[in-house]
This record gives sequence, structure tokens and C-alpha cells, in this order.
Amino acid sequence: MELEDLKSLIALLKDTDITELLVEKEGTKVKIRREKIFSSVEISHKVPAIPENLMKEAEEEAQRLITVTSPIVGTFYRCPTPEAPPFVESGLRIKKGQVLCIIEAMKLMNEIESEVDGIVVKALVENGQPVEYGEPLFLIEPL
Amino acid sequence: MKLFKKILVANRGEIAVRIIRACKELGIRTVAIYSDVDKDSLHTKLADESICIGPANSSQSYNNIPTILTAAEITDSEAIHPGYGFLSENPHFAEACLTSGITFIGPSAESIRLGGDKAKARQVMKRRGVPVLPGSDGPVISEDAALKTARKIGFPVILKASAGGGGRGMRTAKSEEELDRLYFMAQREALTAFGNGELYLEKFIPDMRHIEVQILADSKGNVLHLGERDCSIQRRHQKLIEESPSTVSTEKFRKKIGEYAVKAAKAFKYRNAGTVEFIVDPEGNIFFMEMNTRLQVEHPVTEFVSGVDIVKEQIKIAAGLPLELKQTKIKLSGHSIECRINAEDPERFIPCPGKIVFLSLPGGPGVRVDTAVYSGCVIPSHYDSLVAKLIVHGKDRPEAVARMKRALDEFVIEGIKTIIPFHKKVLNDPDFIKGDFNTGFVEKMNATEVAPVRL
Repeated sequence: MELEDLKSLIALLKDTDITELLVEKEGTKVKIRREKIFSSVEISHKVPAIPENLMKEAEEEAQRLITVTSPIVGTFYRCPTPEAPPFVESGLRIKKGQVLCIIEAMKLMNEIESEVDGIVVKALVENGQPVEYGEPLFLIEPL
Repeated sequence: MKLFKKILVANRGEIAVRIIRACKELGIRTVAIYSDVDKDSLHTKLADESICIGPANSSQSYNNIPTILTAAEITDSEAIHPGYGFLSENPHFAEACLTSGITFIGPSAESIRLGGDKAKARQVMKRRGVPVLPGSDGPVISEDAALKTARKIGFPVILKASAGGGGRGMRTAKSEEELDRLYFMAQREALTAFGNGELYLEKFIPDMRHIEVQILADSKGNVLHLGERDCSIQRRHQKLIEESPSTVSTEKFRKKIGEYAVKAAKAFKYRNAGTVEFIVDPEGNIFFMEMNTRLQVEHPVTEFVSGVDIVKEQIKIAAGLPLELKQTKIKLSGHSIECRINAEDPERFIPCPGKIVFLSLPGGPGVRVDTAVYSGCVIPSHYDSLVAKLIVHGKDRPEAVARMKRALDEFVIEGIKTIIPFHKKVLNDPDFIKGDFNTGFVEKMNATEVAPVRL
């Protein structure tokens, strides 16, 4: 594998939300992983003022929706296996006890179940992303 | 040999801050872990990265091995510093780090295991020629065996839990009737507190001193000591004030106790920083008590008199570097005293967690404060009550005492109660000032309290 090959692999990672890439070519194996930095320092930027009616709508939505948070530290996976489709997608109607995702910790796969019947609004983390205790994972609209 | 790129600090509070400071000065990136109630803790703000690992309950956070190893894995931490308490003396944790390919900054699991078996450690010391108190050879296997040993060595005796230590799981008996009464109670207490009901017996010396020696050992077999610390000012076996050198120490005494400590460390096949605790009787006889296979709370006292940064040495040793220090070059200079400032009622020592509404720390020459508190922070109720360590250094003991008194007067914490008034009392006590005290000091001081005279 040449330096040019490595450079194009890194560029590939940059424009996607791929967090880990393993490539085998002619007996050479390369693993490239995007590091997540857990930052405690919040960098504040100037935020443009949000019109009041939009703020109100956002607040109302926030109250309605349930946030599913991670009960453990680990790595978030959307699919049961890398080749399988994700457990849930946005818009999917789910039942209480349905598996939403897997959090992997020390090679153990922990299935995270929904506490309510509802509709998946969106996933808040990316596949393969390391998550901490209490990290918001999904927004669910309860039914 | 390079030092580590990133270290995860598996602890909280003042010791986490201490470790992060050493890492920063060595150019090593740090990861802080915290439970949800420690979200606004100082150590999370000082580290380069911080990660919430669980709820307040230690068993699900600071004492949870899989959780901490996962945190180390996903942050790509090369090493873990366990601090003191929590998992620092847990051999399973040391082993799990090894299996996971993460360096545990401390001794081997084997050394930790031996340090945690107080009865066995005593036996090993005896075999190696380190004096131990008269007592049972290993654990006492029955009440009869305890009585037999007690009759042989003479009363008073003390029953101790093999899996105990740090002043917990101990019961003294002044007579056969008392021993008879206490034996099964001590066994049950040990089983409940430590999961192991095994006991051993030692002669109890009521007017003894608790003197410990700081040792450093590298991976090449070099072992040296950094002198002694006198920790006799204790309440219910919990240390409150420590100092170095000890007022009973002489060059000859230090050489002897230092040699015993090095011998003990070698018997443990020890690596990294550790402390060997001894009991010294009024005649100056030295007896091995136990080995603490971790960094101690009172390490700053030794740092002041020796000039050695013990946490940095821990990191360097763990990275495989040989000790640069040589025993012949180590000299204790001046005198250092530490007062543990606990968030407790100064009379009854009941924990008083809460919010610190105002904080003003002492300063000036020879004053060091190791703390994680800041104005407005909240002391949670879930963990120990140590809020700050106040350490002073002076050119001699009188200057150190004067300096500590001055620093205690400058120390202002409002919103919670602390034992600062207790420390002021000790520092003004004539026996303490004379340097004439032993482990019975606190009890004696409280008992001989004179009511203030009304004029």
C-alpha cells in the first residue's frame, strides 16, 4: 500500500460518517479509525437569535418527545450485525420492549429496549460512535 | 522509553486532580471519568477529556471494572492510574487491565493480593526477618486457637480481619472473657464488611506510634525509601494529621526502619509506589503492621521533605523507566505536616455534605492545598468526606507548627462544617507541640478537655 492509497482512504473517511475502515489489499491490512474526543469544555459560539415562534414550537416538541439515553459506557451500533439492516429507522412505529440498538462494552452486546410504545423520531448518534453514560441516543414520540 | 500518550484517571476528587496535574506537567493527555453527580467536578474540567460512566453509586461507577475498562478502551487510553481507595487495591482490576493491554499504574496483582491478606503478609515478613508483633502465625482458625495464642503472648490483644486494613475490622480484648465475647462478633463483622471472616491476632500496644515508610520500586528490582511519616494522630484508626520526620526518629532509627521497609517491599516483589506501615512501641522497637500497595492520601508530606514528585515517579516506573534517584542521595530536609480537612462536624465527626458558598484558601511560603473544591461547588453525600488536604513545610518542626496554625486561621470554608476547629485544637496542644504523643492522643485530648473559665 502506497502513501497515495492511504491518503485517499483518509479522504474517504472525511466526507462520510464512517468511523472505522478496515482494508485488506495484497497482503497488507490497514485499519483507520476516527477518534471521538470526549470534551468537557464547551466552546460557545455566537448563536443567531431564533424567532420566538420557532423557539416555542421547539420547546413544545421537546416536551412531547422522550429521549432514550445510554445506560452504560460503550460503543453504539444501529444494526444487529454489520451486514444486517438497522434495528429501527426514523418514522418506524415501535412497541415497548422493542430493541432500538446495541451498546457494546468489553465485547458484550447490550440490547437497549424502548420503554414505551411510539414512533422513532430520530437517532442522535452515529453508528460505531463511542457513547458515555446518559448520552442521548434516540428521540421517541410516545403513543 | 517513552512515557504514555494518554492516561485515564480512575478516581475522583482531590486525588484525581493531583494525578491530572502530574500528567499535564509530563505532557501526557488525561481522561477523567465521573459519575453523574460529579458532573461539575474540578477533575472533569482539568482533564483533556471527560466521560460520564454511571450513576452516583460507586458499584456502578468508580468501582465498576468493566465500565472503567470500556471507558479506557473507547478513549484509547494506554494506562490507568487508580489513585487511592476504589479499585486501587483490587487485584482483579490490576489483572483485568493487564488482560486488556492497558498499563495499571501500580504494583502487580500478586503484590496487591498479598497486601490484602494481612495474616499472610505477617507470615511472609516473619520469614524474611522483618520484625512483627507477637501474635498468631497466620490466621486464627478457631476461638480456641485465638485464646491459646492470647495466653501465650499476654493481654491486651487485638483481633484483626485478614481482609481488612486501613483501621477497619479491629477489636481489642483486655482479658480472656472479652476475647471470648468478641471473637464471633469480629468474625461476623469481617465477613459482612470484607466478604471474608478470617481473623488473626496480635499483641496490642496501647501507647504505640504509627510510623510508615514511603517506598519506590522500579521494574529493574531497584527499591528505595523516602523516609518515614508519623501518622499517630488518629481518631478511631482514621488518620487526621501526618508529619515527616517523626519526632522519635533519628538518623539511626530512619536507617533501620528504612531497611525493614525495603526488605518488606522486596519480599512483596514490589513495583511502583507503596507504603510499609509499622508500629513503634515507647522503647523504640519497630514492628511490621501492614503494607499499603497504593499511593497514600498523605504522600504530599513526603514530597515536601524529600523533594520527590511521587505521582510522576509512579508514571515513570509504570512506563518501564528505571529509578533515577539513588538512596544515598535522598535526604529529608525541613519538616512537613498535613491536616486532613474533612466535611464533618468538628465535635462528633459526623459527615456534613452540602454546598460550599464561600471558599478562601491559605497561601504564602511553604503552604500547599490539595483539593477539588471551589466556591459554589456541592460536596455529594455518596463518597468520602475529605474536602481538602492542607500541607505545610518549614525549616524545622516549630516553624512547620507555626505555619500550620497560620494557614488554618486563613482557611475559610462556608456552607459546610469542617474539622478545622479540631486541627486548631491539636496544633495548640502542649503535648503535640512538644512532639510527645502516640495513637492514644486524640482520645486523651478529648477526655482531658477543660471547660472554659468564665471571668
